[in-house]
Amino acid sequence: MSRLDAKKPSLCKSEPLTSERVRTTLSVLKRIVTSCYGPSGRLKQLHNGSGGYVCTTSQSSALLSHLSVTHPILKILTASVQNHVSSFSDCGLFTAILCCNLIENVQRLGLTPTSVIRLNTHLLSLCISYLKSETCGCRIPVDFSSTQILLCLVRSILTSKPACTLTRAETEHISALILRAFLLTIPENAEGHIILGKCLIVPLKGQRVIDSTVLPGILIEMSEVQLMRLLPIKKSAALKVALFCTTLSGDISDTGEGTVVLSYGVSLENAVLDQLLNLGRQLVSDHVDLVLCQKVIHPSLKQFLNMHRVIAIDRIGVTLMEPLTKMTGTQPIGSLGSISPNSYGSVKDVCTAKFGSKHFVHLIPNEATICSLLLCNRNDAAWDELKLTCQAALHVLQLTLKEPWALLGGGCTETHLAAYIRHKTHNNPESILKDDECTQTELQLIAEAFCSALESVVGSLEHDGGEILTDMKYGHLWSVQADSPCLVNWPDLLSQCGCGLYNSREELSWSFLRSTHHPFVPQTCLSHEAVGSVSNLTLDCLTAKLSGLQVAVETANLILDLSYVIEDTN
Amino acid sequence: MLSSMAAAGSVTAALQVTEVLEAIVSCCVGPEGRQVLCTKPTGEVLLSRNGGRLLEALHLEHPIARMIVDCVSSHLKKTGDGAKTFIIYLCHLLRGLHSITEKEKDSLMCENIQTYGRHWKNCCQWKFISQALLTFQTQVLDGIMDQYLSRHFLSIFSSAKEKTLCRSSLELLLEAYFCGRVGRNNHKFISQLMCDYFFKCTTCKSGTDVFELVDDCFVELNVGVTGLPVSDSRIIAGLVLQKDFSRYCPADGDIRMVIVTETIQPLFSASGSEFILNSEAQFQTSQFWIMEKTKAIMKHLCSQNVTLLLSSVRQPDLVIYYAGVNGISVVECLSSEEISLIQRIIGLSPFVPLHALSQCEISNTALVKFCKPLILRSRRYVHLGLISTCTFIPHCIVLCGPVQGLIKQHEDALHGAFKMLRQLFKDLDLNYVTQANDQSDTASLFICKNSGESYKVPDAHNGSIQKPYPDTVIENKDELEKTQTYLKAYSNLAISDVELETYIPYSIPKLTPADTFQTDETLRCLSLEKNRLIGDYEALLKSSSTAYSTRGNNRIEICYENLQVTNITGKGGLLPVSFKLQNMGTSQSYLSSSVPAGCVLPVGGNFEILLHYYLLNYAKKCHQSEETVVSIIANALLGIPKVLYKSKTGKDSFPHMYIRAVHALQTNEPIVSSQAGLESVTGKCQLLTSVLQCLTKILTIDLVITVKRHPQKVHSQDSEDEL
Repeated sequence: MSRLDAKKPSLCKSEPLTSERVRTTLSVLKRIVTSCYGPSGRLKQLHNGSGGYVCTTSQSSALLSHLSVTHPILKILTASVQNHVSSFSDCGLFTAILCCNLIENVQRLGLTPTSVIRLNTHLLSLCISYLKSETCGCRIPVDFSSTQILLCLVRSILTSKPACTLTRAETEHISALILRAFLLTIPENAEGHIILGKCLIVPLKGQRVIDSTVLPGILIEMSEVQLMRLLPIKKSAALKVALFCTTLSGDISDTGEGTVVLSYGVSLENAVLDQLLNLGRQLVSDHVDLVLCQKVIHPSLKQFLNMHRVIAIDRIGVTLMEPLTKMTGTQPIGSLGSISPNSYGSVKDVCTAKFGSKHFVHLIPNEATICSLLLCNRNDAAWDELKLTCQAALHVLQLTLKEPWALLGGGCTETHLAAYIRHKTHNNPESILKDDECTQTELQLIAEAFCSALESVVGSLEHDGGEILTDMKYGHLWSVQADSPCLVNWPDLLSQCGCGLYNSREELSWSFLRSTHHPFVPQTCLSHEAVGSVSNLTLDCLTAKLSGLQVAVETANLILDLSYVIEDTN
Repeated sequence: MLSSMAAAGSVTAALQVTEVLEAIVSCCVGPEGRQVLCTKPTGEVLLSRNGGRLLEALHLEHPIARMIVDCVSSHLKKTGDGAKTFIIYLCHLLRGLHSITEKEKDSLMCENIQTYGRHWKNCCQWKFISQALLTFQTQVLDGIMDQYLSRHFLSIFSSAKEKTLCRSSLELLLEAYFCGRVGRNNHKFISQLMCDYFFKCTTCKSGTDVFELVDDCFVELNVGVTGLPVSDSRIIAGLVLQKDFSRYCPADGDIRMVIVTETIQPLFSASGSEFILNSEAQFQTSQFWIMEKTKAIMKHLCSQNVTLLLSSVRQPDLVIYYAGVNGISVVECLSSEEISLIQRIIGLSPFVPLHALSQCEISNTALVKFCKPLILRSRRYVHLGLISTCTFIPHCIVLCGPVQGLIKQHEDALHGAFKMLRQLFKDLDLNYVTQANDQSDTASLFICKNSGESYKVPDAHNGSIQKPYPDTVIENKDELEKTQTYLKAYSNLAISDVELETYIPYSIPKLTPADTFQTDETLRCLSLEKNRLIGDYEALLKSSSTAYSTRGNNRIEICYENLQVTNITGKGGLLPVSFKLQNMGTSQSYLSSSVPAGCVLPVGGNFEILLHYYLLNYAKKCHQSEETVVSIIANALLGIPKVLYKSKTGKDSFPHMYIRAVHALQTNEPIVSSQAGLESVTGKCQLLTSVLQCLTKILTIDLVITVKRHPQKVHSQDSEDEL
């Protein structure tokens, strides 16, 4: 019977955004992402109905990779957020929420896609050039000579992920560890082109978070029994290391494409074992102290090496190969025969270590940019979240090293930016509408949609029914708790703005974020004294936020431009 | 409905199908076009405005629809452009034909003909029409293109001889192209990117071979990076291989590389052979021999200063190890396309390891400027600075975008643009039949664009000496008339043109614009009625005696239009040129001519309106039956500008624009185009031909019979609904 089936015709829908189904699914997605946003965001538990792994998270990377969306438009949206997160590790939820808001707001206006897209692009470039300009009022330089701002940056990332379930002290501890790990990956004598090292995260679940630690070098996990067999080496000089990438198990490697005929009584296994022992002899005569193998070492060879006081560790796995090569400076050996003497490397010392219930061999480097972050958390779900968070923080630090600026966090950048855009489009619309056919009314409408999309992103920072205000001088964000009496003096209720830069002692006037107010000029050019005096700022990564903003607007433009959806049903 | 036994109206059926398709494609056409989202059965999401891709994604079931899609895809294979226009044009043609039959049906109603009989009568009529279409396409269309339309053509080249492009004209061409291909907010950026790429990759000596290379290997010449804004896309010098190094050894100074297509390590036993092992020692010795041999080869490579090894196959650990020991970087598992691209660029043949040791010097190595890892968003690539031995200077495009679907769209568009340029750099042959005889010198019209105006402009602007055409050139032409080879003539003429630099018309024209036009008209009449011919011809001679007296009986027509005269778009650097040569027969002559490489017209339906206008003029002097066919074709052409101007209102709306254009043509003034931008004429001509062929195919079908296969359900009804 033929299994060949004719292709089914595709489903074709016009004007997909107008359909009720798309709107509902979009708003469901929006509700999911907004409710996760910020330090007080709600957690999501993702699990398969038929059991198995349960993921508790409020992070976009974990959330979106576990969600399975079916509608093509949502696929585009989630894919672009995921791609953004995989390259910047931060601002994923911001991107997703902004994109949903933009689509929703613009749709309500009913303008032609041409002008919407054109104006959105103009507004985006206005934002980008402002955030990159010297006069930007929500950007601070990152000083690598002190840890203060770097710690703020890491702390902000940790606090925005409530699913890590960290206490205040734990947050401080982990922030310090992350920063230390990051600094360990920077080569000491960096000239010109810097190549950063690597921080390996070693899991240690079920321990207290406070027990987490950072060690230079590499930890290789091992069972206790194996560890007992390792002989302590006492040697003052550095240890000579041989790292094998080929198997030392005595398999007969690839015999070519032809057939091999064996005469009776010939044992290839013995022949190969002989070869292996010869190799062992060579290693011993070359005074190698440590033999590491990616794959399996034949027990006889292992025993031979142990007899000659050489430590042999096998089954290292492919992931550790690159850091090991880098740390020890070896040439991974792929030969069972003559080994060139310059392919050996060295480590400063080898010791055994026990953390929690796990035993490790710790390879201590001479000087290298590889470190291990031993990360503890109470349970699996929280550990997974913490691991993702640490990776994100390390990545953000790397990005910041490239572009040493940080944006004010806590929603202040968004409100400030919205105030700036409003002011610009109000007072100087001609400069934006330089060449094209869009009218001023269209610009006002789109600018309003754009700004309110930005503002409702920060509006979703508040999950407990509180109010969000903005001041009329800096354009920063201030939040009020839900059950506060309404007839009091604002400065008494408000203590600090979202990022922590300003406090209410200053003479400021406030207005509700959602109410209409006259456009004002937010104060540009941050003064250095203001930044220096505050120790606890909430900060965001500039690179990630810029890209998030761009991706959100580009994706929204893309989705608004769709005229048909053709679904292949095969 | 149709699949059951649809016979009566294959035109009606085809019209219904194409109308549905038209509705879909027309929303993606032109600068106002929007995006379409396609999903694949694998769950991949693709954004597209590419007509071919959309039609493919629809998986149409209707037999006629499938035939149309086949026609479109075979057209696309040839030209890489015009799928949407194809559908729109076809739809308008069918609509035109359909409306005629509707009329005729009314007249037939009075006669008592059985329905069945009428059907067959209809079919005969379709057959007749389709024949007429075929005749038109093969014998008339090219002629109209050649005789009337060619005077409007502009050339994209700033110098016709060397086929050099200046940036501004390429920008105009590409911007117009990408307008219809990528999202509105990206088309400027992408066309700039393509422009940069073009000028970085080509030298002044580069010819069409560069386009061929880029077109053939485009997949290898770009790298997609997701998660970054589109504006981060860029061009990087050198070649990027989408692999990581298996072993990377930083090297400075001279980097020499070799390509291998087999494993360097000798095999234990060759395929098809038997290796008999008699002892363990034998096994060990052979292993040892293999090891030593590999080591020796790698050492030998090292001694020859080779520091980079590119391999199309996976190399054993042993080879990688010895490469590392000898400071040789290794890249494995390159695809055959990548290898062939590298070979095309540097002309290097693979290195055969086993022969290597016998030679003391390895001949097939090549020098590389640099070779380093390139990290794009945490993925590692190999970045090679090849030193090109051909006219292509290797560069790669890094395409960024938030999602893969968008990157794919940009990649497709860029690839298509290279296909289009490849076509544009070729001449398009035109062959047609003309009704003429010895006396009527139909083709010897000297047509000058913009008439009076353009004659003056060279005087004023160029201000150089204007010599009459040298005699040698005329001789040349006579010679050519004998040999009747087009190519030679073309090259000769081209040279003479360039030699003269500022070219002046051969004759000193006293023709006023009106005269030219009149002559034109007169001659058209001439070709029809032979009786009046002589008289009219004399009259014609009087009216343009100067022009003809100098020419005598010369039957070669050269229609030079001017150097950057007041050209239509008003942009500099364009050189309107057209050459023509034809041999004359007696009463019916076969002419061959060509649209020279690089011919362009301003965008925005200019080509369609021009052709429409000239076709209508032509139709006036045809027989009644032919007239209907020609006018259907002419009117259908307007469908495309109608779609393009759909969103415009007021003075920019289609009727206004059309009237202005026709008026301009009648008074021989230049047509003012509202849009800057150019499009290739070659592509349009080919498209028209393809559409007419497709229509001919549709019309010749009288019955669509569905053969019901055993278990399969027929879904044709559904497919109609879903569309």
